[in-house]
Parts: sequence; structure tokens; C-alpha cells
Amino acid sequence: MNRMSMLWVNRVVAPALVVGLTTGLAAAGVAQSVGGQAYGTYVNTPTGFSTRSPLAVLPAISGTDGAEADAQGSTLNIAGALSSEFLSSTTSGELGTLEAGAQSTASAASVNILNGLITADEVVANVMSSRTASTAVSNADGSTFTNLVVAGVPVTSGDAAVAPNTNISLPGVGYVVLNEQLPAGDGVTSSGLTVNMIHVYLQSLVGGVLDPLTGKVVGGSLQTTGEIIVGSATSNASM
Amino acid sequence: MLKNLMLRFTPSLAAAALVATACQDSTPLTSVAHKPNFWAGPPPACVTGKWTGGGRIDPPSNADLQDETSGGQPPRYSDGLSPMNGKVTFGFNVFLGSDDNGNCVVNKGEIQVNWHPGKVSWHVSIHDGVDAYDGRPVLASTFADNSGGFCVVVGIPETFMTARVNPQGGTELTQFEGCDNDRGEPQNSRSDAMRWRSMHFGDTGLTFLTGGNIVEHGS
Repeated sequence: MNRMSMLWVNRVVAPALVVGLTTGLAAAGVAQSVGGQAYGTYVNTPTGFSTRSPLAVLPAISGTDGAEADAQGSTLNIAGALSSEFLSSTTSGELGTLEAGAQSTASAASVNILNGLITADEVVANVMSSRTASTAVSNADGSTFTNLVVAGVPVTSGDAAVAPNTNISLPGVGYVVLNEQLPAGDGVTSSGLTVNMIHVYLQSLVGGVLDPLTGKVVGGSLQTTGEIIVGSATSNASM
Repeated sequence: MLKNLMLRFTPSLAAAALVATACQDSTPLTSVAHKPNFWAGPPPACVTGKWTGGGRIDPPSNADLQDETSGGQPPRYSDGLSPMNGKVTFGFNVFLGSDDNGNCVVNKGEIQVNWHPGKVSWHVSIHDGVDAYDGRPVLASTFADNSGGFCVVVGIPETFMTARVNPQGGTELTQFEGCDNDRGEPQNSRSDAMRWRSMHFGDTGLTFLTGGNIVEHGS
């Protein structure tokens, strides 16, 4: 059962607060924007589906305003695909005269994917993006796995990071990308980053022909037929 | 001054509170309120403006001991609070203003804090100048720390602030502190810092962020 609560906050600032801002980024007369999103889990497989949850999305921000959104879930169980608990997603962002930025965090505990094929005591995805007068940067500092095990092989002992975009094959299933990082922006006027801590790609052979002599499939190609994501956080900032 | 105004938890009261917490399930966590002594001297300094941030700390690692008592904040684990160690994630957004008496108040704000080892989450929601969970104003202070950063404390004594606690479903008194140490220049050598104090679960101490960001935007 899913039990989630959602809080959305702080959407609008009086236009009067915007008037008179004459310094920094605002003085440049350019449009700033920030965005953020975080969710604990997503399942889309041939046998099960669960939307992005608990999902926190940064509301639209204008002027020089800020906002925070968060969502929590106690447990999630998609039979055969994924179970987890203590799910939490938080995102916040702001447009300021000196700095615009967003930061997002998603976490999930007691993670069990595909009947124990991948387990972790906890997963935390943490990203931030910042745009100042001189630069635009993003990073995923603080994104870690606690006691991650993939296909029976320990990947982390205790709480530790894994190199970005670590790809591990899952024979007969597909593959998993750990600490999947998807950057965006030019690093000067804009920067963004999505980190998916565990991204399982389920694959099947499509289009092959069964060789009657060998009993093996010949040709065809592996195609992604499903995916499971645990711990996803996105942030971006631009002007 | 402010130091003299700090709400003091006695060990015995803290112990009683812990026992009460352990024995209850969905009942409110708020225990007998610690009445403030008095409000002496001028109100704390306040630079009105907006603060936003989020990320992660991992106390007791990366403690910012040098700056912890800046602004009259008590040293960690004082007031009978126990250490709150381990992974803590958070996000917040607060708008500060001044009331008619010159006190620094939070006009609106949201604070979410998750203590992962204990699987406990807090949420503070402030609208129209009052705490959504107790109907009281939430006082704040801002100050420069010892290292060039700038900090905000939300829920200063004499009121602290009331947070909803999950999964217990109750409420308790809490306090948030965030320090913008990089001052608009992210990725420098000194990261921002955060502190969370909970009457029942303890004190993280002021701790540099493992990841994330805290930004003071001014007015």
C-alpha cells in the first residue's frame, strides 16, 4: 500500500516585491528560471506499473521568489518488481538577485528490486544547481548507496558513492546503471542535472529467428521493454 | 542577550520526553511546554529577506564547531538534547519580516527534515505569520558567523516552533538553522551548513552540507 502526503507551498509573491530590484542578475533584465523534481521510485515493466512516487515538483517561480515542495511515502510494494520503505522526496528553489538555484533530494530505504536481484539498505539522490553572475554549476554531491548489492555482489559497504554512470550487466534481465547522471545546460548561463541512483533497464530480444538446427535465436536485437528507477532527483537553474 | 534567552532543556525533562515518545504511537508528541524565562534586552537582529535551500548532512561528520555558537546559539547537545547522528536530508524556504515590536518573524515558510537512521520526518508549515501546527508566530534571527558566513535560525526561543512528526503523527518543538557560507559563490572551499534540533530526537549540531545548497537572497 502506498500512503503518501503531498505539500505544495509558497507559490506567489506580490508583484511589489519584484519592483525595485536593480542589482545582480535581476538587473540584467534577463529571464531566470529554476526547476526541480524528486521521486523515490518508478516502475514500468510488463508485469507491473507504479507512477513516479512520492513525487515532489518545484512549483513555477517568478520574480525573486522561492518555493519548497515535498512528498513522503511509508511503503511501496510492486510484486516481483520493487519494494521499499521510508520514501521521501524534497525539492526547493529560488530566484535571487545574486544567485538562482534549485536543489532536490530523493531517498528510499530497504530497497529490493526484482526479488532480490538488487538490494540496498538505503539510496539517496541529491542534486543542486546554481546560477550566479559568473557561472552555472550542478553536482550530485551527497548521492550515495548504503550496502548496495547487485546480483549477489556487494557494491558498497556502508554508505558510499559509486562512480557516475556505472553500468552492470544483469544476464537474462538487461542491465542496471548506478548513479546515472544526465547533465543539461551550457555551464555558463544554465546548468542542470538529473541523477537516477538505480536505473534498471529490462531488455528482451526482439525480431530474431529461431534456428531449427541449433534451437537458438539468430539475429534480432535487444530492446528495452521496461525500467525501474529508485532515487531520482533533478535540478536546474538558468538565465 | 540571546544566549540568556535560550530555552534550556533539563536532562530530566528530556528523559521524560523520551520515555513519553517511546510509549506513544499516534498521540501528539508535544509534551509539557518549557516555558521561557523572559524576553530580555532588544529583539535579535534581523535582516529580512528570503532563504531557500536543501541537501544533506551526516553528523557527527563535518561538524562546524567553529561557528556553532555564533549568534548566541548553544553548543551542541546542550539543553539535555541527545546527539542526532547519521543521515539527514532537508529542504526549506522561509520569508523573514519584522513584527510591530521589531522582532524577526517568519511570514511564510516550509521546512522538511528527514532523519534517516530513525526514519523520522518533520515538517514545519508557516502561513500568514503563524505556525500551522500551533497557531503561534515563529521567531527567527539572522547573524554573521565566525567565518564569514551568514546564518538564519528559525524557531528561536522563546517559542521554538512546532513541527509535524511522521510517522508518529504528532507534533513537537523544533528549531532549524541554516548558514549560507559561500555567499553566492557555490563550489568554493567552504560548504553551507545546517542544524536541526528536536525536543525528542536530539540535536544534529551545526554541520557542513555533504551535498546541496543554502542561499540567502536578501529582501
